[in-house]
Amino acid sequence: MIKRVSGEQWLAFGIILLGLFMAWQLQDIPNDAGYAGIGPRFFPSLVVTGLIVAGGALLMQRRHSNGPDTILSDGENDAAEVEAEDEFARGDADWRMFAIASGSLIAHMALIGLVGFTLAGTLLCFGICRALDTRRPTLDLVLSFALALGLFHLFKTLGLNLPALIPGGVL
Amino acid sequence: MESLNALFSLGFATALTPANLLWALLGCTLGTAIGVLPGVGPAVTVALLLPVTQSVDPTGALIMLAGVYYGAMFGGSTTSILLNTPGEAGSIVSALEGNKMAKAGRAGPALSTAAIGSFVAGSIATVLLTLLAPVIAGFALQLGPVETFALMMLTFAAVSAVLGNSPLKGFIALLLGLSMGLIGIESQSGQSRFTFGLMPLIDGIDIVVVAMGLFAIGETLYTATYENKISGRIESLKGSFWMSKDDWKRSWKPWLRGTAIGFPFGTLPAGGTEMPTFLSYSAERKLANPETQKQFGKGAIEGVAGPEAANNAAVTGTLVPLLTLGIPTSATAAIMLSAFQQYNIVPGPLLFDTNPELVWGLIASLYIGNVMLLVLNLPLVGLWVQFLKVPRPLLYGGIVVLATMGAYALRQSWFDLMLLYIIGVLGFMMRRFDFPVVPLVVGLIVGPMAEKHFRRAMSIHQGDLTVFLTHPISLAILVVTAAILIVPPLMKRRQKMLQA
Repeated sequence: MIKRVSGEQWLAFGIILLGLFMAWQLQDIPNDAGYAGIGPRFFPSLVVTGLIVAGGALLMQRRHSNGPDTILSDGENDAAEVEAEDEFARGDADWRMFAIASGSLIAHMALIGLVGFTLAGTLLCFGICRALDTRRPTLDLVLSFALALGLFHLFKTLGLNLPALIPGGVL
Repeated sequence: MESLNALFSLGFATALTPANLLWALLGCTLGTAIGVLPGVGPAVTVALLLPVTQSVDPTGALIMLAGVYYGAMFGGSTTSILLNTPGEAGSIVSALEGNKMAKAGRAGPALSTAAIGSFVAGSIATVLLTLLAPVIAGFALQLGPVETFALMMLTFAAVSAVLGNSPLKGFIALLLGLSMGLIGIESQSGQSRFTFGLMPLIDGIDIVVVAMGLFAIGETLYTATYENKISGRIESLKGSFWMSKDDWKRSWKPWLRGTAIGFPFGTLPAGGTEMPTFLSYSAERKLANPETQKQFGKGAIEGVAGPEAANNAAVTGTLVPLLTLGIPTSATAAIMLSAFQQYNIVPGPLLFDTNPELVWGLIASLYIGNVMLLVLNLPLVGLWVQFLKVPRPLLYGGIVVLATMGAYALRQSWFDLMLLYIIGVLGFMMRRFDFPVVPLVVGLIVGPMAEKHFRRAMSIHQGDLTVFLTHPISLAILVVTAAILIVPPLMKRRQKMLQA
């Protein structure tokens, strides 16, 4: 429970920081009074204010719900119970799998221009299979390749050119 | 009567051309397939199809996208009933009774009552759409920028405060969407905002990237991190497939009640399918006779028939504000709106005058799509069940490859892939901390429109902010908006005080 509360508080901090960062960036928007004094800076200012206020409220609400008087629970369950139910439904986080999925996406981003869509796509699809705890990696590798190759040629016929390993090549 | 005339002379004439029939069939088939596949929803599919449809004529493309939206609702029930993993928010309730029925060997009747109920509800709701849309569009013609802006505020308040379990989290999601919508060149002054000197950001963040990031990448990251251990069991289709006489007797009233609950909910800015389906379920439970009441929780057919009808009626209902006011009330509707924008068509009251073939063709295609979906879902259900057998790792792998391809194809740039990943991580965190995503998508699409209307209103009224309160219609809308924000917390507090 403590872990989760701190996670959400970090998130609230992040939202406030985002708001502050955007407020700083607001200065770059020229505000030569457009129509009737409402320029291009007006609306962003409202959104920025909203972000900072809402982030602050989230921070307060969380801290508040640590105490005996909870806001988030619906009045019948106490916070601990809600928390326990939630955690049960969610299961433990497996950050290794998150890292594999993220790594595959980032590798794909870096490689697509270099090795072409088919190979980068194969790697991505296989990486996601690994992240989802596949039981038959070899078959998945073959199927990932088939899928990426199939999509590459399907879209080539449809007139959408995806990057190839060698320009004009079959991969 | 005028609307019926337009429907038959214009609508069916457009929708029944071979090309458009084919688009409808393609959309319905695709929609059913993605509805059946767990983890893929209509929003991400419509977003994925946006770049593909660019070269198709607008009527055909929109008919297909509507088919996807519709079909996903039909297909979603199959997954709920057989696998107990609802593909869509609107199918959660069907899993309650439907999966129990399947476990008791009554999967056939459960699927049948869901499909026929969806058909009945979809058809009735389309009739209501036909009759209501021109009336509302006529009324909406009188709305100026002041009223339209107020209406958009109402939409913002409703999607953030009513959906999800924490209004604050809904608002944060909305603000994040509004922030993303600010990025790029501002349409009226031509100033660039929040682009950080990066060229690719000048055009703004594409809805395709946002939808893919939130729904495909975010979902995959979440499943990989939290749900690897959870495995589902597919119930087999055994026993009689058809509904017995008793099943029919027990289903027809819930179908009609579900439609009556679902349609109005869809048309309200607080749209979405979760609430009407839950309401329909609890209504059926309360109205059941003592004998049937005992079956609830063990597989009561009423608990499938009502919510499925409510689900479909609500989806059709969301087309009313989308077509007549140009305001989307669900994530999929918001992405459909950007499909209209792609063709420089502005949905709203004028649509019925400027593009009558398109709008009536679209409505007529819903009637046809309903029939197609009934055929696709009833006799062919065995085929869709095969989809459930695709191993989950490979399914998600394929979804991610398609999502990255959709994002990359926009500009052939790795920058969009990076945005996709960042938004994916955002989606993961929102899922982790129970933030609703619908307000974000609606904020992203409607935010820039709201700003435009606001500034237009200000320039007409010389910067006088009180116009929002002195125009009667705008005042009324804003009072309702305030009520949505203030009343629920007050009631909660009162309840608490009574309990104490």
